[in-house]
Amino acid sequence: MKHHHATLQRRAALLAVVVVLQAIAALFFVLDLFGDVIADGMGQHLAIEGAAVVALVVAVFGGALQIRALVLATRADEAAVAMARGAAAELVRLRFAQWKLTRAEADVALFALKGCDIAEIARLRGAAAGTVRAQLARVYAKAGVGSHAALLGSFLEDLIVAETPAPAGLE
Amino acid sequence: MHDDDETMPPARRRWDPVVKLTHWAVVGAVLANALLTEEGSATHVWIGYALAAVLALRLLWGFVGPAEARFSAFLPNPARALAHVREIRAGGHTRHASHNPLGALMVYAIWSCLGVVIASGIAMAGLPGAVRAERHEPAVATAQVGGEREEEGEKDGRKDREGEEEGGLGEVHEAAVNLLYLLIVLHIAGVVFETRRSGRDVVLAMLPGRG
Repeated sequence: MKHHHATLQRRAALLAVVVVLQAIAALFFVLDLFGDVIADGMGQHLAIEGAAVVALVVAVFGGALQIRALVLATRADEAAVAMARGAAAELVRLRFAQWKLTRAEADVALFALKGCDIAEIARLRGAAAGTVRAQLARVYAKAGVGSHAALLGSFLEDLIVAETPAPAGLE
Repeated sequence: MHDDDETMPPARRRWDPVVKLTHWAVVGAVLANALLTEEGSATHVWIGYALAAVLALRLLWGFVGPAEARFSAFLPNPARALAHVREIRAGGHTRHASHNPLGALMVYAIWSCLGVVIASGIAMAGLPGAVRAERHEPAVATAQVGGEREEEGEKDGRKDREGEEEGGLGEVHEAAVNLLYLLIVLHIAGVVFETRRSGRDVVLAMLPGRG
């Protein structure tokens, strides 16, 4: 599974490469400009060149700020995913205990929560599809739900707060 | 005190892409100019300029980067460095999200050294524009360095301008570079030591892919 923070991380790394190249270019132009001004004095052409150099330096600054934002967003994302993962694992453990699932049922239920269908679960556990279907039925009964979707829903209900989530960070 | 600053990322040490890139760019530039390029050649000088830009970017990052990349996370502090040494001796172990106090001193030492190398290098090579102007009309450049040349000119008879100019600055450049090599050896020794003491994270944190 691809995580959002991995994408952010790649973007930050790419942008860092760009900004390093920009910084090198900016320094070359700054030095070149100084050299030209020393050699020829300030003219209209050099004034425009100077403005371009300033723009490049500002771009380096802006790029640096953008990288910082990406790095921080990556870390926030990682932390959020880790926290959610911990909370979800804890919730699953708790519910399974409350429902008094057997080991085999808990196993099957966990696969079901991760999105596996009966055929996949059977293959993963090396069991017959019929056995898995029966175990899953007992899980549904103990959990008081009627379907796979309802089982997932019963967990999401506890994990998701009813208020609308804030739109996620950067553009 | 600032090791558990709430803005610090938790537990494992990590460096952002700018810190990593500038670190390895400096490594590349120093290696290239030490081993590959001919001293005083155009390539040597251009790599020096690139090194200057990379160092400048890292210093800028020291103000705007994430918490552990900022100067405020690893201000030079000999007292803390000594305390750190005592801690190592006592077998203690504090986690540092940024450089440890001893490493911080090394960082500033290397940066200062690089600064001197770059400054003396640029002083010798001149600005790119000035170099170009010099080629067209030597009078301009000669006028600029005329002052020092009077004294230096006599004792160093080789090759006219280039050789004379290099005199004092060249020695500064060389001495600073040699000091830099020593610091690099110490830096690597420090990393090896710290890796054996606190695990592979020290090295892994600077490698790509763990942003």
